[in-house]
Amino acid sequence: MSQSVNSTVSPSLVQRARRIASREPGLALGLLILTIILVVALFPSLFATHSPFNIDVNAAMQPPSAEHWFGTDDVGRDVYSRIVYGARITLSICAGSLFLSALIGGSLGLVSGYFGGLADQLLGRLIDVLLSFPPIILGVIITGILGPQTVNLILALSMVYMPVFFRIARAGAMSETGKTYVEAARSMGITEATILRKHVTRNVMPLIFTQYMILFPLILQIQSALGFLGLGVQPPAPDWGAILEQGKDFILFAPWMSVFPGLAVLLASLSLILVGRALQKRVDQR
Amino acid sequence: MGFYLLKRLLASILTALLASVLVFLLVRLVPGDVVSQMMGQAGGETAETAMRQFFGLDQPIYVQYAEWLMRVLQGDLGTSWTRGIPVTQLLFQAFFVTLEIGLLTLLIATLVGIPLGIVAAIYEGKPLDNLIQGFNILGLSAPVFWVGLMLLVGISATVSWSPPLRYMPPTRSLSDNLEILLLPILSLGLLQAAAYSQFVRQNVLSALHQEYVRTAIAKGVPVRLIFFKHILRNVLIPIVTFMGLILVQILGGVVIVESLFALPGLGRLLLTAIETRDYPIVQGALLIVVAAAMVVNLLVDLTYRLIDPRVRVS
Repeated sequence: MSQSVNSTVSPSLVQRARRIASREPGLALGLLILTIILVVALFPSLFATHSPFNIDVNAAMQPPSAEHWFGTDDVGRDVYSRIVYGARITLSICAGSLFLSALIGGSLGLVSGYFGGLADQLLGRLIDVLLSFPPIILGVIITGILGPQTVNLILALSMVYMPVFFRIARAGAMSETGKTYVEAARSMGITEATILRKHVTRNVMPLIFTQYMILFPLILQIQSALGFLGLGVQPPAPDWGAILEQGKDFILFAPWMSVFPGLAVLLASLSLILVGRALQKRVDQR
Repeated sequence: MGFYLLKRLLASILTALLASVLVFLLVRLVPGDVVSQMMGQAGGETAETAMRQFFGLDQPIYVQYAEWLMRVLQGDLGTSWTRGIPVTQLLFQAFFVTLEIGLLTLLIATLVGIPLGIVAAIYEGKPLDNLIQGFNILGLSAPVFWVGLMLLVGISATVSWSPPLRYMPPTRSLSDNLEILLLPILSLGLLQAAAYSQFVRQNVLSALHQEYVRTAIAKGVPVRLIFFKHILRNVLIPIVTFMGLILVQILGGVVIVESLFALPGLGRLLLTAIETRDYPIVQGALLIVVAAAMVVNLLVDLTYRLIDPRVRVS
């Protein structure tokens, strides 16, 4: 049974992959790296060679070797295994916070753009206030003042790009309101709330989703920067930014403690940028 | 023009006011103020109350805000609670450090980014374009602090040079000052150059594919003339806009490089002030940051109007 399914599905999958790889090598590379990272994030225990928490002072600050691929940190933990386990923490925090901003910013933007009026004006003003801070600084203030806890980190990260989702959704909703199908729906007696929920939202969704992919690498950078400043996930949790924060004091003696977690952030960002760009191109073509 | 400027200024001031309210509320609504931090376990209740009174923390928040705002309007940002120095003085010193980093970074980003972008667009699809695009995408992906660390390791390993540990103002010794700023500016500047080059490439490309360029080629206009008179002129507007965006990005990025390389700029001042709950500094520093970002945006808008007459009409 599974044999026959495989034989019918896999050739077309392989073909599709090949077609993407030849037409859009960037997208193919991005998808490949992203898939690997996601698999690692989902099943870290399959990839890790050591425990990410196990302290072994006798093995502290060892350079990369066959035993410790990425070396060990100042208390002898295996850097490779910490990065492997960190993928889930780092990426889920970014994905979750960005989802929150898309959800809240997007819904507010949709309502604001569709109905307009005083509420729209007031919300726009508030969003301007948030936008007046450079993104990193907004993250630094919120996590710095509320204290470095994961909940606060998620709150801070979700505030950073909420205005962007608000603006995208608002602009999308405004351009949709003028279209004939909305008028038609209105003349049929469909309520405004239903039009917004069922029709306008559905048409604005691709814009929001694309924006989500575009902003993901940016939020990852901010998340790791906050971790690096000591305002993110706190050690001993193997968050990528937190690993980098611990490594910076040993940068000249044990550079591997910083090289590899930074590379992890770089590769994740790279793959997300490549995929996001291809997505954007498609939305623009529509 | 005058009316437009006035409208923009008023809107900016309103936004800045709201931002200051937000910051004011945020720092005060969080448990654990400067007094409890200073007193620690030792403080008695009377002493704490006296200190709160001294800092004005016993008043209702709106009274505190009104008093703060009145003083700000007179140019007084208060006195640092932990250092006893006027905030304006602290901010003034820190601002110039950050300004120098920011402007030099912008210089590198512009000098590297714009030519790279133009070259990439001219050689679209060729190996050179691919190489530049590779640089762009790596620059957009790499975390700035990591690049700073890697430059530090790489340079100290190859030429056995490492930056001096103490900050030196340019007025005292320009060469020492530049030596210490080299790595922070390089790491921040190269990454922003990547963003810049990416943006310029896209814009030059879309200009290259315009009908009027094709017409000019068909008419036999020399390529050099097409490039400078038609393409660059049209690309200049988005480039200026993007410069503003880059400056705001740099303003955020300096927080990270200042903390990494121990530079006494606004970013590090803000970070330490947040840690010690020194509200007057936090409020003052954020006011400066927000105001700086607004000034940049306003300048971009005005330049925009100068370069593109169409904007003035609409």
